Amino acid sequence: MPRRSKEASHAPLLPLPLVEKLLSTAMSRGADFAEVYVERNTSTAASLDEGRIKSAQSGSVTGVGIRAIRGAQVGYAYSDDLDEPALLRTAQTAALIADGNREPGPVNMSRTPLPTYYQVRTPLASVDVARKIELLQKADGAARAYDKRVKQVMGGYADQTREILVANTLGHLAEDRQDLCRLSVQCVAFGKKGERRTGFYGGGGRVDFRFFEDFSPEQVGREAARQAVATLGAVPAPAGPQTVVLAPGWSGILLHEAVGHGLEADFIRKGTSLFAGKLGQKVASDLVTVIDDGTVAGGRGSINVDDEGNPGERKVLIENGVLKGYLYDHLNAKLTGQRSTGSGRRQSFRHAPLPRMTNTYLAPGDQTPEEIIGKVDRGLYCRQFGGGQVDISNGNFVFEISEAYLIEKGEITKPVKGAMLIGVGPEALKNVSAVGSDASHDPGLGTCGKDGQAVPVGVGLPTVRIDNITVGGTGA
Amino acid sequence: MSLLDTCEQLVKLARKAGAAEAEAYAERTRDASVRVRDGEVEQLEQASSKGIGLRVITGQRLGFSYGTDLSKEGLKELAAKAVALAKGAAKDPANGLPHGKDLGAAPAGDYDPAIEEISPEWKLQAAREAEKAARAEDPRVRKFDSTGAGDYLAQSAIFSSRGASGESRASYVYVYCSPVAEADGQLQTASWSDTRRKLSRLQPPEEVGRTAARRAARMLGARKPKTQRVPVVFEPQLAAGFIGGISSAVNGLLVHKKSSFLASLLGKRVASAQVTLVDDGTLEHGIATRPYDGEGVASRRTAVIENGILRSFLYDATTARKAKAQSTSSASRAWASLPSIGTSNFYLQAGKQKPEEIVKGVKSGLYVTAMLGSGADVVTGDYSRGANGIWIENGELAWPVQEVTVSGNLLQMLQGIDAVGTDLDFRSSTAAPTIRFAELVVSGA
Repeated sequence: MPRRSKEASHAPLLPLPLVEKLLSTAMSRGADFAEVYVERNTSTAASLDEGRIKSAQSGSVTGVGIRAIRGAQVGYAYSDDLDEPALLRTAQTAALIADGNREPGPVNMSRTPLPTYYQVRTPLASVDVARKIELLQKADGAARAYDKRVKQVMGGYADQTREILVANTLGHLAEDRQDLCRLSVQCVAFGKKGERRTGFYGGGGRVDFRFFEDFSPEQVGREAARQAVATLGAVPAPAGPQTVVLAPGWSGILLHEAVGHGLEADFIRKGTSLFAGKLGQKVASDLVTVIDDGTVAGGRGSINVDDEGNPGERKVLIENGVLKGYLYDHLNAKLTGQRSTGSGRRQSFRHAPLPRMTNTYLAPGDQTPEEIIGKVDRGLYCRQFGGGQVDISNGNFVFEISEAYLIEKGEITKPVKGAMLIGVGPEALKNVSAVGSDASHDPGLGTCGKDGQAVPVGVGLPTVRIDNITVGGTGA
Repeated sequence: MSLLDTCEQLVKLARKAGAAEAEAYAERTRDASVRVRDGEVEQLEQASSKGIGLRVITGQRLGFSYGTDLSKEGLKELAAKAVALAKGAAKDPANGLPHGKDLGAAPAGDYDPAIEEISPEWKLQAAREAEKAARAEDPRVRKFDSTGAGDYLAQSAIFSSRGASGESRASYVYVYCSPVAEADGQLQTASWSDTRRKLSRLQPPEEVGRTAARRAARMLGARKPKTQRVPVVFEPQLAAGFIGGISSAVNGLLVHKKSSFLASLLGKRVASAQVTLVDDGTLEHGIATRPYDGEGVASRRTAVIENGILRSFLYDATTARKAKAQSTSSASRAWASLPSIGTSNFYLQAGKQKPEEIVKGVKSGLYVTAMLGSGADVVTGDYSRGANGIWIENGELAWPVQEVTVSGNLLQMLQGIDAVGTDLDFRSSTAAPTIRFAELVVSGA
C-alpha cells in the first residue's frame, strides 16, 4: 500500500531561492512554462570474470537540466557546473526558445506530497563494496558448481542512488531518492565439437541490499548455468509461422515492444504510431489487458514521482482487447488537452524528458500453464528471452528467444537454438489465444532505450499462447 | 587549468594516495542541436559537459573512480576512492598501464574550426531544408518522427604515471531526417542522416531529406513473403551492422576466453576471398580517427580478415598482456568507464561489383533495407534478425517486404558472401559496401 511520505526535512539538492531564480530566468524571454531538474547520481559497480573480481568502480555525477517551453517549442540546456553564474547562463540558454521579453512573475513553489512505492532504508551507495563483491563470488561459485561444462562465468553488480529535485513554474516541487540495484550473471557452457551455449540471469530493483538474502546470488548463478547447459545439443529452430507458448516473466517484453512504445504520447501526437486515433477500438484479443504501472512495490521501473515531478500511476492501456489510453508526459499531455500520466522520464539531467513506460504487464487469465501447453499439438515453448525492438510506424517488432523447446503433442521436448519472434503488434495480440493464471514479473533486469536515452523498466506476463506468429530460425 | 593539467594533477594525487600506477582520462564536450517540425523549431538544445575518470593499479589490483567535480577537493576524493576500491579487487598480473614504445600518437583526426562557429540559425535552416525536401519528394510523406541538425565538439586528455600524455579534439556536424509515409492505413518510417567531421564534407540537407523520404515511401504496401532459402543482399548500412557484429567476434578478450566462434581460427580461411576487414584509427577523414586509443596507445591500421583469412584479433593493453599479444590500439574509452576493447574505423574493403549488378544477379531474393534486433551472437555463432526490405524478382527490386527474419550461422554467412560492392562510404565509424549472401533463411508466412 502506498504511504504518504513526510515532508522532506534534509537540505535540498540546490538551494530553493536559487531554483526560483533559475525558473524566473528561464521564463525571462516569454516562455509559458519552465522547469528545473537537479540530479545527483552516485553509482557503484563491480565485475567478475575468469573467476576473479576484475574491477570495482564508483562515481558521482551531479548536474542541472533546465527546460523552457513556449507552445510546442522546447529550449533545453544543462550544466554540471553548479555555481550560480554557470546555472544562470544555462537558464538563459534554455530561455532562448522564446524570443520576446517579459517581466516574469514570482514563482511560489510548494512541495508535492509523494506516495512511497519503494523504501530503501539504507542508501545502496552506503553499503560496503566488499558485500557487493561477495555477491559476485558466490554467484560464480554456484554457477561453476552446477555443471563442469560451464567454463566461463561473467558477473556484474551495479547500483545507483539517484536523488532528484524537480521544480516548475506551476509551483510544483518534488524530491525523491531512487535507489536501484542489479546483479547479473552470464555463463558459457562448452559442449562437443566446439559448441557453445550461453545463459543469462539476474535481478534486482528499487530494493534494500538485503533483497539478495532471498534472491540469492547462488540462485542467480545456478539459473544462468542451467540455461547454458540446457540448450547444449539444441537443434536449429524451425522457421516460419507457428504456435508459441511464452513462459511467464521476462516474456513481458512482448508487450513492451508490441504495444507499449506505440502508446507513448509523442508518437501519438505526431501521428507516427499505428495506434494513433485508435482509442476505443479493438486492438487485441479479448484476453488481453495491458497495464503500465509505476507503483509496483520495489519494481525496477517504479517511480514515486516521474522526472517532471508528477506522481507515478497505474494505467490500464488495453482492457479486454480495447485500447483505453496512452502514456503522457507533461508536454504531450498539454498539447493534446490531456493530463500527464506520470510517464515523463529521462536518463539524466543531460536529457529532456520523454513519455516512457514504467512496469508494463499483462493481467492474468484463468488457465494453468500445464493446460495451455497440453493443448498445443505442435509448437514452440519459449522459456527465456533476450532483447527486443520495435518500429512504431509499421508495428513490426522482434524479440529474441534465448531458451526454447519444441512442443510435440502437448509435451515439451527437444531444445532449439537461434530462435526469434517477429510480428506486427496488433496482429500478434489478436492471436493471443490463451492467458495463464500465473501472473509474473521479470526479476528486475530491464533497460529500455529510446532516442538515445536509457531508463530502467519492468515487464511482466503470465504464460501466454500466441497462434500463427513468425519464428525466425534456420531449421525446417 | 587545461584538461591535461587536471589529469596530471589527479595522477599525482593518486600516487600520493598510494597508487602504484595511475592514469587519468578527461573529456570536455559541447553539444548543440535543433529539431524542427513543420518548419518551426521543436527543440533547441545546448550544453557543455565535462568529466574525469581515474584508473589506479596497486599490488596488481585495479580500481576506478569518476566524477564531474574537477576542483582540487573533488580530485582528492576521486584519488582516495579509486585506491580504496582497488583493495577490494582481485590480484591480476595482467593489470598494468601501457608504457614505453606502445605509447605515442599518429596524426590526429579532422578538427574543423568552422564547426565551432555554426550558429543555431544555420542548424535551423539545415533542418528546415531537409524537412521541406522530404515533403516535396513524395506526396505520401506528410508526417515526421523528427528532423534536425547539430554539432558536437569534444576535447579529451590523458595522462599516466607510465608516460602517457596527450590531448586530442574532434568536431562533428550532422543532419538527420525521419519521415513517415502513409497510404491505405499503413505507416512506414525510414531515417537517413549524415555525420561528418568537416563542415564542407556534409551532405546537403535537402539530399538527406529526399533520401529519407524515398526510403520511407518505397516501403508502402509492404507484405510478408513465404518462408524460403534465397540469396540476400544487405544495403551498405545493414552490411555495416553485420560487420559490427563480427567486430565482437574478434574482441581479444572473448577470444582469450574461447568464447567467440572465431577463437580457434587464426590464420584460417573464415570468409570468402572477397572479404577484407580492417580496423584503422588513422583513416583519413574517418569518423573515429584519433591520434591514440583510450589508453594512449598510438593509433594504427590492423587487417583483421585479409582476402578471407583471419589475420588478427583486437586487443587493449591488459588483454594483450593476458594473451601474450600486442595491443592493436583498440581501447575504447569514456570518462565514466574503464577502457574496453572496441573498434575505431572498422570497415569492409570495397569490392569490384556495382550495387546494381549485385541485385541484377539475383533471380529471387531479398534486398534488406532496415533491421530490428541485435542479431549476431558471436559466442554461439547464431544469427537471426528482423528485416524489412524489397523483394528481388529477376534482378529487379520488385515489391516491399516486412515482418520477416533473416537467419544463418555467422561463419557460414562470412564464407557465403559472394559479392562485395564498390559503394563503400564512411558515413559512420563502422562502414561497409553492399554485400550479397549466397543463401540465407528468410522466415515469413
